[in-house]
Amino acid sequence: MEERERKSAKSDIKETVASGCSRAPPVPEHEAAAGSKAGDDDADKTDVCSDNFDPLLALYSPTVPLPFPNIKGFNNVAAYESFMKGGRGRAKPENVEKRRRKAMKGVADPERIERLKKLIVNNPVTGKGESSSGGSARRERQKPQKNVLTRMPLCTGSPLGELYRCVQERIRVKVHIRTFKGLRGVCSGFVVAFDKFWNMAMVDVDETYREPLLGEAFYHEKALTISRLFEKLKLQENPGGDEPAKTHEAQETAGEHRQPANPKSAPKNPTGERGDGGTDSKLSDAVGVKRDKRRVSLKAQGPEACPRRDSQTYGRVHTRHINQLFIRGENVLLVNPQPL
Amino acid sequence: MESERTESPAPVAEVFNSIRERAIAENSMVVLLQGLQGEVTTVDLRNESTARGRVVNVDAFMNVRLEDVLYRDRWGKLTKLQDMFITGRNVRYVHIPDHVDIMKTIESQLAKIHRVRNFASHGGGRKEYAKKTK
Repeated sequence: MEERERKSAKSDIKETVASGCSRAPPVPEHEAAAGSKAGDDDADKTDVCSDNFDPLLALYSPTVPLPFPNIKGFNNVAAYESFMKGGRGRAKPENVEKRRRKAMKGVADPERIERLKKLIVNNPVTGKGESSSGGSARRERQKPQKNVLTRMPLCTGSPLGELYRCVQERIRVKVHIRTFKGLRGVCSGFVVAFDKFWNMAMVDVDETYREPLLGEAFYHEKALTISRLFEKLKLQENPGGDEPAKTHEAQETAGEHRQPANPKSAPKNPTGERGDGGTDSKLSDAVGVKRDKRRVSLKAQGPEACPRRDSQTYGRVHTRHINQLFIRGENVLLVNPQPL
Repeated sequence: MESERTESPAPVAEVFNSIRERAIAENSMVVLLQGLQGEVTTVDLRNESTARGRVVNVDAFMNVRLEDVLYRDRWGKLTKLQDMFITGRNVRYVHIPDHVDIMKTIESQLAKIHRVRNFASHGGGRKEYAKKTK
């Protein structure tokens, strides 16, 4: 406390010096006059705590007795002020304000709470945290929110809208899955959600697919269609059916392939025509292929030791059930809602 | 936020690094896959191989990072891998675990994105990557 008094006295000294600059010339005379007097007068004049304290003398005298040892000296008033504030930065008015605000940061400011309460839409009694989300939710809702779920009903009138109808009415759909060239298989299930890329989330999926052919088999392959796919599956499951039945079916599938009714065969025509030109040769070829397969399977049926290995080591058709499946839209060939 | 963290044994960083990615994800089904982060799933690839492992991270382009993976190639050969990255384009299927509710997962992921966006706008600017996507 006493130190502070002394320092405030020093600040007073500064002010008096500023005002008393004009008195500089008379100082040497004053000092000379003082020098003639007794020394204790001098000491009295430079003693801060005395009544006869002469600040100008104290400033210019070489030895000033400090009443209190170990005191902190400052160069100017501002340094003293900032020391009193207790911080490290200079005590500019803006710094002071910033520091005060920072100190008050966590404390609930009633004025701010009032401001935020005005933004609340529904619940006026909730605190500051709720109000912030309430206010911004109101701003968000002003323009309608668009996300994958809201976009689903938006596409009515388009093929995706038809798919949305299947989602709503829980219609079972068959999704044809593609391999790099042609059909891989079929996923039959219910669509839960989809997006504009035809990525689909499906449940209760039965997938029937064929392993891709490689090499020579691929080169000679007849384009896989849905009917052919299920044919092959049936053939795999029951090796060695009746001969007339098989040829009859072979003729039917070949006939179907000719018709453009199957929407998939339309893009397949160029590849279909690649092998042979005439339809007759195609028909006989198809029959021939079927007969070969049947012959192979009959042969396999004979020796029980290796029942299935010889019949079809490549391009086998598989079926599996998956409860919940996500399909990337890139792999979707077409979607076929099944009539109820 | 703490309760959401307990479902995966190893905490994963789910921060979107750009607004663009967040927007792409929000408008597509990738959010469903992002909701699967931390689950063990099977990813069927375009090349007829499958990878079964725990999903670490899925980004907006469906690139998937898996860990503790059992990779079965198209010929059926099994390989164990610790870490695997699959390009989004190579994904054909993602098997969703039975216990996952599809609609709920999508809705919760969208809510997270929504919360992050509002937090960022109202809280007064970026707060040094304190995005609450977890």
